[in-house]
Amino acid sequence: MMSSRTFSLLAPVTLGIIILGIWEGICRFWHIPPYLMPSPSAIWRALMLDGVALLHALLITLEITFAALIAAVVGGVLVAFLLVQSPLIERCLMPYVVIMQVTPIVAIAPLIIILIHNTPLALTACAALVAIFPVISNTLQGLRSVDPDLAAYFQMHKASRLQTLIRLRIPSALPMFMAGLRIATGLSLVGAIVAEFVAGTGGNSAGLAYQILQSGFQMDIPRMFAALFLITVAGLVLYAAAASLQRFALRHRP
Amino acid sequence: MSSPVLSLASIEKVFPNGVRGLSPVDLTVEKGDFVTLIGPSGCGKSTLLKLIANLHTPSGGKMNWWGGNFGDVGRKGRRMAFVFQDATLMPWATIAKNVRLPLDLEKVDRSTADKRALAALERVGLGHVTEHYPAQLSGGMKMRVSIARALVTEPDLLLMDEPFGALDEFTRNRLDEEMARLCYEDGLTTLFVTHALHEAAFLSSRVMVMAARPGRIHAEYEIDQSILRNEEFRLSDQFAGISRELAILLEDASRESMIQQEMRA
Repeated sequence: MMSSRTFSLLAPVTLGIIILGIWEGICRFWHIPPYLMPSPSAIWRALMLDGVALLHALLITLEITFAALIAAVVGGVLVAFLLVQSPLIERCLMPYVVIMQVTPIVAIAPLIIILIHNTPLALTACAALVAIFPVISNTLQGLRSVDPDLAAYFQMHKASRLQTLIRLRIPSALPMFMAGLRIATGLSLVGAIVAEFVAGTGGNSAGLAYQILQSGFQMDIPRMFAALFLITVAGLVLYAAAASLQRFALRHRP
Repeated sequence: MSSPVLSLASIEKVFPNGVRGLSPVDLTVEKGDFVTLIGPSGCGKSTLLKLIANLHTPSGGKMNWWGGNFGDVGRKGRRMAFVFQDATLMPWATIAKNVRLPLDLEKVDRSTADKRALAALERVGLGHVTEHYPAQLSGGMKMRVSIARALVTEPDLLLMDEPFGALDEFTRNRLDEEMARLCYEDGLTTLFVTHALHEAAFLSSRVMVMAARPGRIHAEYEIDQSILRNEEFRLSDQFAGISRELAILLEDASRESMIQQEMRA
């Protein structure tokens, strides 16, 4: 009998291999041209052939992703702390936070790219705008999710505002914040890719999205899939890293 | 003669929505008393306790702690501790850190605080779990930690709001016996809220039976302070007698609460 952990890993991997096999079989049997639907083996060859260039592009995209994530976390936490200070501040600011959230990034990205001349900075700003909302809303909710009895306890013991913040509010907010961070990690990557698409920047400092666009123009579909594969792997790794960080930070909690 | 630990004169509470939580209540607690507030739900027993803890402000009346006002509470000889219905521990902190919290808030130095926290945990029989986290403990153990957190400040008045209400009866009886030991042997002054009649009969030196709508003290019942509160007492005729008399008073109080409600309706 295998452990449930092994099983939960083995089952989807097996399914993936079966699907890849069927895909490969269909492409070969009906001689489907690679510019319509490349076979997995053709994608793998493209990945091997262009691997260095694609990995370089991936690195550039990841740089923007991380810069955007850091900006979103720092900015989002600051905004949340500001909002929680007084009902007046919240009432004034909250509508704009929501407006920022509901405006599709694709629609404002061209504007940001015109306003900010430095392209990597513009891309980072776009990606950070996508990722910041879950940080704000989760941190805000976390800061408010203080156990009322514990808050009463602090009040009864005449705790100062600073003591209450450090010993009660911040630790209480941590679970919600970590959930927000996990969402923001995924969104940073999405934001970086979307921004690159809109900016369409080429040249030596082009990220993976540009590689996808370029492969599309050149009808090099296997390369397009190879780039897509790298983005997916990067997304999975980021998700796993964020999830582990979350588990680590909350390891003692029920 | 020194001032009583607590004195309430005509304390009232009207909630912002106009509901009368408490009609004028008078209550005096002397050093070494174990006073229990008991009554049907809505009788304001928890409200009264929160007023005393200064978590609510009264709408009227006069309240004194050790003859002074709340500003002086917390100084030596005038310390107050509160135990909630739930253990109300910080899930992110170890048991030792949880118990140390009130000392940390007072900025007691680290090594002294650690020593006192360990001593308090040992008093409730949990000296071995200092580095555990609350999630690793059972409900009864968590409640003991909560009591240790109250004892660590060496309180001169211990306020307890239905502390064992969420526990099974067996655990509750065990904890009641420990409470009796802690309170009577060390001469701790305690104000205890419960809706469990047997708990009130077992622990108290004085029981205030409350009625509802509006909350008020319906009757007062004294129990000999010198009784040894152990398993033997729980099985005695004396305990059965006290329980019966309290049951009659409580029945009376809840009937009166119902009549008041019907009159209003």
